[in-house]
This record gives sequence, C-alpha cells and structure tokens, in this order.
Amino acid sequence: MSHAATAHDHDHDHHDHKPPFFQRWFMSTNHKDIGTLYLIFSLAMLFIGGAMALVIRAELWQPGLQFVDPHFFNQMTTVHALVMVFGAVMPGFVGFANWMIPLMVGAPDMALPRMNNWSFWILPFAFTILLSSFFVPGGAPASGWTLYAPLTIQGGMSVDMGIVAIHMMGISSIMGAINVIVTVLNMRAPGMTLMKMPMFVWTWLITAFLLIAVMPVFAGAVTMLLTDRHFGTAFFNPAGGGDPVLYQHIFWFFGHPEVYIMILPAFGIISHIIPTFARKPLFGYSSMVFATAAIAFLSFIVWAHHMFTVGMPLQGELFFMYATMLISVPTGVKVFNWVTTMWRGSMTFETPMLYAIGVVFLFTLGGLSGLMLAITPADFQYHDTYFVVAHFHYVLFSGAVMAMMGGAFFWLPKWTGHMYNETLGKIHFWLTAIFFNITFFPQHFLGLAGMPRRYADYPVQFTEFNQISSFGAFGLGLSQILFVYIIVATVRGGKKATAEVWEKPEGLEWTVPSPAPFHTFDEPPVVK
Amino acid sequence: MADVIDPQSERNNIVVKLVVIALIMFGFGYALVPLYEAFCKVTGFGGKTDIIAEAAANNGVVSDRDVAVTFTSHSSSALPWEFKPITKGLDVKVGEVQEAIFYVKNYSNRPITGMATFNVTPPRAGFHFKKTECFCFTKQVLQPGEEQEMAVRFMLDSEMPDDVHELTLSYTFFDNEKYAGQ
Repeated sequence: MSHAATAHDHDHDHHDHKPPFFQRWFMSTNHKDIGTLYLIFSLAMLFIGGAMALVIRAELWQPGLQFVDPHFFNQMTTVHALVMVFGAVMPGFVGFANWMIPLMVGAPDMALPRMNNWSFWILPFAFTILLSSFFVPGGAPASGWTLYAPLTIQGGMSVDMGIVAIHMMGISSIMGAINVIVTVLNMRAPGMTLMKMPMFVWTWLITAFLLIAVMPVFAGAVTMLLTDRHFGTAFFNPAGGGDPVLYQHIFWFFGHPEVYIMILPAFGIISHIIPTFARKPLFGYSSMVFATAAIAFLSFIVWAHHMFTVGMPLQGELFFMYATMLISVPTGVKVFNWVTTMWRGSMTFETPMLYAIGVVFLFTLGGLSGLMLAITPADFQYHDTYFVVAHFHYVLFSGAVMAMMGGAFFWLPKWTGHMYNETLGKIHFWLTAIFFNITFFPQHFLGLAGMPRRYADYPVQFTEFNQISSFGAFGLGLSQILFVYIIVATVRGGKKATAEVWEKPEGLEWTVPSPAPFHTFDEPPVVK
Repeated sequence: MADVIDPQSERNNIVVKLVVIALIMFGFGYALVPLYEAFCKVTGFGGKTDIIAEAAANNGVVSDRDVAVTFTSHSSSALPWEFKPITKGLDVKVGEVQEAIFYVKNYSNRPITGMATFNVTPPRAGFHFKKTECFCFTKQVLQPGEEQEMAVRFMLDSEMPDDVHELTLSYTFFDNEKYAGQ
C-alpha cells in the first residue's frame, strides 16, 4: 500500500511529528485523530440530545402544560432521538472503530484515510442543518424519529432539512462502513486470520455490512418522502394511491438492523473488557462470532414487530413474533459467554469492568422487556406506550452508551497516556447506573398502566412515577458533567500509563506505547 | 504469497463492490414498492379488493349464506366534500351481485378532482370482495356545488372465508388535484 510505504519512510526521520493545529484537526487523515474527532463529536451530541431529553422530563414533571407547548414537545422527542441515534451512538462507535481497529489488526491506518476525513466532516454540517431546523417557520421535525408518512408529507420545511441531514449522515455512515470493511479485509497483520481477530473487530465488520445493507434503504425511504412532498409522486400519500403502511415497512426494514448497528459494537467492547478484568480468555470466541452473525441475519426478518398493530394477517404476526423471539438465542449465547468468562476468574472491579458488568445486567433486562414486546397479543397493549420507551433505553443507554463509557475508560490510558482517576470513575459509574434506573425503571410501570409515548401531558394518576423518572433524568444528565471532567483531567495529566495499562490484557493495541504514537505499526507485527 | 496480489487493486476492488452493494440496496428500497403492491394483491393484505367482469359475476352460483356488509365513507380533511353512504348496509348472499349508492357533494366554489381509496375489514375478506364497477376506479370531478350519487357494484365470491359473517367496506375521498397530470 503506497501511503503506508510513504508514511513508513517519513516516519523514521521524525517519529512522532504531528502537523500544526489546523492541518492536524481539520485536514486529518490519521485514524487516531479522526477517531478523537468522532468521539468528541459524539460526546457533544450526547449533551445536546440529553438537554432535549431534560426538556421532555421537565415538562413531564407534573400533569398539564408547564414549560413548553405540545408542538415544541414533539420537536424535542423527535430531534432528541435523531441526535442520539445518528449523532451520539453511531458516530461514537465509528470513533472507537477508527481508534481501535487499526491498532487491533496491526494496520498503520484505516485503508481509506481521505475518505475517513470526509466521512467525519460531513457530520457537523449534517447536524447543523438538522439543528437549525428549530429556527425555520413551524420549527423542527415533530413526527417522531421514525418520520412516519403521511404526517411527514404535511410538515413544514424542517422535514426537508431533516431529510437532507439524514442523507448526509447516511453517506457518512456508508463511507465509514466501507472504510472498516476494507481495513479489516485488506490490512490485517500477517498471521491474523479472520478467526483470530479481536471481537470488537468482528462485531464492527458485521455492523459495517449491516450499515451498507440498510442505510441506502433508509435513504430511499426519505427520498420517496421528499418526492411525495414536492414532486407529485404518491408512494405514501393515499390521495394519489399511495400507502402509508408501506413507509412503515421500508422504514423498519432499515430500522431494525439499525438497532443492531447500535448494539453489536457495544457487544464487541464488552467482549474486550470482561476477559481483561476476569483475567481469563473470552469464553466461546467462535460461538461469539457466529452469534453476532446470526443476530445480524435475523435482524433482516423481524422488522414488522415494530408494527404489529397496523392490521397484518395472523400468519404475518406469528412469523414476526417467532422470528423476533429467535433473536434471544444468539443474544443469550453472548450473555452466557460473558458470564462464563467471569466464572472463576480473578476478577477485579475497575471502572471499565463495572461498566461491562452493568451493561451485561441492564442490557439483559432490556432484552427481557424486548421479549415481552415480541409477544404479539401483549404488544397490542404495550405498543407506543412508555413500556417501549423504557425497553429501548435499557438497550440503547445501558447497552450502547454505557458500553461506550466503559470502553472510553478502558482505552483512555492508551489514548492519552495517563491513568484516569479511578475513584471518580467508579463514582461516575454508580451515579450513571443508579440514576439511569431511577429514570427508566418506573417507565415500565407507566407503560403497563397505559401511558402513551410522545405526549406532553398525562392523566394525574401517572404523576408519581413521572416525578421519579424526571428526578432520575436530571441526576443522570448532571452526572455526565463528571464524565467530561474525568476525561479532560485525564487528557491533561495524571499517573503515566504503561504500554499494557491493565494486567496482561490481550490484543495488539497493548503492545504499542501509551499514549499510542501518532504513527503505529509502520512495520506490521507478526501474529502467531 | 500475498506479494503476488497488488494490495492497492485489491483494495479498490473491495471498495467498488461495496459501493455497488450500497447502490443496489438503494434500489432495493424502491423495489419494495412494487413488491409490497404484489404482496398485497396476492394476500389481500391491507384490505385490497379484487375486480371481476360483470358477465362473470352474474354467472356464479348464488348460495344462501348471508354476509352483512356495512358501508362507511369520509372525505379527507383537505377536501371540502360531503361524502356519505346512502346504502348504509346490505345483507349480501355469497355469489350475488349487489349495488350500493353513495352521496357526494362539493361545497367549495371551484371544481375539484377527487379520488376515492378503499379497503375492506377484515382484510382477509378483501380478496374475495369483487367489484364489477365502482366510482373509485376513476377520478371524479365535481363542479362547484355539484352533488352526485355514485355506485359500486360488487359480489362476494364463493371462497369467502366461512367465519366472515360481517364486513365493512370503507371509502375515503382525497383531493387529487396534485396528481392531476397522472
């Protein structure tokens, strides 16, 4: 590879030479710097999306309308979700992929460094467009993140801005995915066969294929929306012979694999943390790989469980119910493998391990409520209630986001060269885990009692649980300031980290010094 | 050995393949539209009904099994039309051809083209609900203040599931001006 060769020659002269500020951060083609940019972007979006969540929770503190009008409330729920899904979780994992995949497979950089730069820099523009839609007449999209037609056929120009933003995010994700696949298939160190790859690389490889398969479908769906709105087509508009339910099918054909796009890399991170702190190799490596692939395959044939109530034929509902329940088999394999990895290990409970165990426990709770939702007749009761909100926050926050936090603590010493403050890290974990449960556990009860999602108001009997939830939400939000403080403090200083950081961790990333030098693996390592 | 393959061209090769997959999947999103249409036609999903020629409809054997058919209708909020069934309901024998009449009036001061959509509930009955003629087959133009009676002629075929004793045919009139060119 020519750029590797040039980097190699260049590197021997001045080993850790970094370009000046503007070139380094704005024109970067270095996987570590782009990874850092992705992670900072993701963290910023976590706070923007989180602030919107707090507007929602403030309004729901008591029945009646206190702070915002219902239309603005709907904008909050919609943009909160879009920002969290496409701005916080997906770019966060791409950040981890950028930083860690080349280090883990022994490659000097990502395979397509210029495209890497491009795929990151699309994002700030995409989100500027999305967020500036708050200032156009009619405000931001207020249809829910699913952008269901025919409601979105009627919305104002903010819907168009949302569609453009989604196209840009989609292009960014697809380019990122192509980059990951090419890096993994083409740039592994000699001797690293596919079945020797670290789990995080495996989960990301499969995630990347999911992204390439479904992001374009979503792009197609929103393009149809756009042409329905402005160019006289009638894909979803019944006035011209279209079918609104068709939109739901196309959306969820994307939407269900999308939820695995957001969780598979988290599984990968967990599969690195648990063996390290249990001081045992990951139990059942190959079954982990096949379970991941099985989850990815099944994700394509379960989409209609999001729309059990549209009036499907009975056979369809049964098929999607059983297929959905089938997913718990490979997911169960993973959970059992993690638990077995810990079994009789010499466990210690540093912050990343606390996060990993927290994720295994809380994600499994989310999986359980997912199984309840999969039961078609029960889903008619749960559909579009707070039970669903509780369910997907258990898998998305205590699954994806907490796995990223754990991963951040796990690799922060490798990234910065400093150890983070362990006490503060543990405090952050406990604050996050406890406030998370205070926020979302009561929402199960609200949902079962029949409180619908996406309303600014509710009947008085739901007040207590909503107040508990709102209290937890503000605690959860404020706790994240500590997260930022710990990261900033670790970047600035702290105990020097060794190359290994932890006790005999597995993986090539621990063979390079901490902080990882600007250029690594100019000479490919040999994997036995 | 790996030296034989030029890694640069191998890389480009994978990139091209992946981009092609992405483009195919974009097309697949669009392909879902006719696929869904075909799926609905075959399964009757969504309460789609079938069409049958008048002559063929009158040839069928009339059984003594009764199905109660209820008619409902409304017009889209964007369409200033009144639209209501004159025939509220009928007991229809399986195999016989029946007719239902709807009333429609344009309250606006401009001519408007409307198009009616329809479905049958329960959806699995839709497949065996066969229309010989219907105002929903074509666009309807109403002049300012014009009122009309519109008819649908239909039959229930012998395959109508045994457990269907009543069904509803629902119509919605939409403003079709936006799609006038089609």
